[in-house]
Amino acid sequence: MDATQKQELRRLFASRLTGAVRMYLEACTHCGTCIPACHAYASEPELRHSSVGRAENIRRLFWRHFRPQGRLAGWLNEAVELSEDWMEKVYETAYTCTGCRRCVTYCPFGIDTQQIQSIAKLLLIGAGREPQVLSMLADMSIAKGENVEATKASFTQAVQGLEEEVIARWRSEAGREAIPIDEKDADLLYVALAGKHSIIPAAAIMNAAGENWSLSYFEAVNFGAFVGNPEKTREISQRIIDEAVRLGVREVAICECGTAYRVMKFMMGELPFRVVSFVEVIARYLREGRIQIDPRKTEQRLTYHDPCQIARNGGVMEEAREILAHLTRDFVELQPNRVENWCCGGGGGLVAMGEKEFRMRSARVKAEQVRATGAEVLATACENCHTQLSDLNEHYALGMRVAFLSDLVSQALVASQ
Amino acid sequence: MGDYSIAKTLDYKGLPCPMPVVKISQDIGSVDVGEVIEVLTTDPGSLADFPAWAKTSGNEILETQQDEGTIHIFVRRVK
Amino acid sequence: MNTVYYLIMVPMVYLAVAVCLIGVIARLIALGRAPRHPHSLAIFPQRGPRFLGALGDTFGMPTVRRHQPLLWFFLLLYHLAFLVLIASHFDLFPGIRILPADSPHMIGAGAVGVVLTLALFYFLIRRFRSPIREITVPSDYLLLLLLLFLVLTGSTISWANSWNSEAGGFVITKQDFGLYLDGLARFRFEDPREVLYGSHYIVVVLHVLLANLFLILLPFSKIMHTFIALPMNRLRRGA
Repeated sequence: MDATQKQELRRLFASRLTGAVRMYLEACTHCGTCIPACHAYASEPELRHSSVGRAENIRRLFWRHFRPQGRLAGWLNEAVELSEDWMEKVYETAYTCTGCRRCVTYCPFGIDTQQIQSIAKLLLIGAGREPQVLSMLADMSIAKGENVEATKASFTQAVQGLEEEVIARWRSEAGREAIPIDEKDADLLYVALAGKHSIIPAAAIMNAAGENWSLSYFEAVNFGAFVGNPEKTREISQRIIDEAVRLGVREVAICECGTAYRVMKFMMGELPFRVVSFVEVIARYLREGRIQIDPRKTEQRLTYHDPCQIARNGGVMEEAREILAHLTRDFVELQPNRVENWCCGGGGGLVAMGEKEFRMRSARVKAEQVRATGAEVLATACENCHTQLSDLNEHYALGMRVAFLSDLVSQALVASQ
Repeated sequence: MGDYSIAKTLDYKGLPCPMPVVKISQDIGSVDVGEVIEVLTTDPGSLADFPAWAKTSGNEILETQQDEGTIHIFVRRVK
Repeated sequence: MNTVYYLIMVPMVYLAVAVCLIGVIARLIALGRAPRHPHSLAIFPQRGPRFLGALGDTFGMPTVRRHQPLLWFFLLLYHLAFLVLIASHFDLFPGIRILPADSPHMIGAGAVGVVLTLALFYFLIRRFRSPIREITVPSDYLLLLLLLFLVLTGSTISWANSWNSEAGGFVITKQDFGLYLDGLARFRFEDPREVLYGSHYIVVVLHVLLANLFLILLPFSKIMHTFIALPMNRLRRGA
């Protein structure tokens, strides 16, 4: 690694040294309380799969490059110099962390490994070593924003092609489009993913509730966050913000996608509208009596996986239970659940990267946790979790049906009495 | 439909996000430069995703067609 | 040798206190002036008042209690004993009265040293076992050893000064240490040997040397957590 590159990586590292991150790097006492927190460690007890094991790779660079004691007596904290070999180690631990932040709930100080890992990811981008598939997705997301006018017409046509399927779940009032797009003065902008499975159930539910809504032209997911690139993250989310402002909506509802929700809700600063997850929207409709669901339509035993970015990192936990209470009479909680729930093992871009072998190995504890419930349906509210849980279901032969909360609700919609 | 022959047809219907784009970026390597892949999907988002992917990866979307809920995307490998 | 003893017992104490105070303040200012994290670092659910919650997290260490009860027990014992230890050292100054002026005992009458020793032994020994062993770096061992020797020499002095002259034992009493510290506080630069004339003066010098080292290293070590554990816990509570 030459001096120029080292200088550049040092600059990238420094750009992430907020007060919080500095404290996280300086104060760890190596007490080891966080070690069992990680699902990867619980499934495969190797230190590189632990929170502290991962963080040390960055901490050692920090001592060497940013603190005088690391330069004068680096051996005290085993400080290391930036090098090709060390970047290899950083790679190994950066993309085995799903950013679930379960370890934050173990640390006596609340050291946030996800923030430390974001330094790792940024350094890897700087060294041109990030997973190509993730930067491809981030670049693509941005290119999409530049090109939106060209694809609007065909997108609208494709969405119209889905209306029948929406109507099959809920026949909306005459004169109303089943999937409104570009609806000026809508109250709610719904931001979906590319797939129709993230549009149809939500549309049926919002129509049943008589919501004045509009479908966003853009995709909710933010691949910039997966790569760990703050500039790209902002650029991608900005398109949705601009659209919401243009339409003058009061509320932006993010589909069942954990990263998209967390990024929009917590990372975009003050916004002129409310950001909610679609889970909150459904719970509100039920609370206000705007939709009715028939619990007999979901007769099998149901359990629910709290997506990390929506529950522990987003605060949406009880809303899901409210929905579940309406959805079934046979609900069983995963143990542990809510803030303590095990990560599915697919977050942080792992699903997009493929990595199936590692994902299956590192989520053994998740599969066991799910199996122990004896449930037949495993509901969740995050695309990424859904994909990973489906893979686990197959790999560990759990014999379950993995379903989105919105899908279950839309299938059980009934007219109000 | 333009004047080209289809080397391969791939069914991406019902794939979770972001798999259609991930798959095309892998599958494009399975045909020779100049050849055309037809992708079948049901995701409206693919209509924006594929051109954006083509732009950043240096490939070409020849055209898209829609019939009865299925979207056909014709991708030519350029490099 | 007497000059070395004097340098440790007087000028180095001033140096150590100055390095510690300036170091800690400079570090806290640097951390405070670093850019604010661009987004919330909260963990949900958030219940109750944030600041009180963060205080509870900092001093009660509920996450450790839940996941490592034995470690939590020793951590709590250790930190409580350390607080008493600080109080008992202030109690040595003639101007500060926590125990009666003529009391021959430190606060806790030696129990504090025993508790600290046990806890430090536990902290040290758990580092020898996997997986803690693999995450331990030299500074972790050295700080524990420094603290352990500091506490052991302190306990020796405490034990010694609890012997009174009638019993034919040691002669450096708690009140003698008070005179020494009073001299330091009033910048009299006298040779402490004049008030601390017991034969185990060397142990006192060692104790002060280790204490000086501890103070000097503090701003550069993970012991800074003393000051930043609360701000970090506030971040987790959504501050």
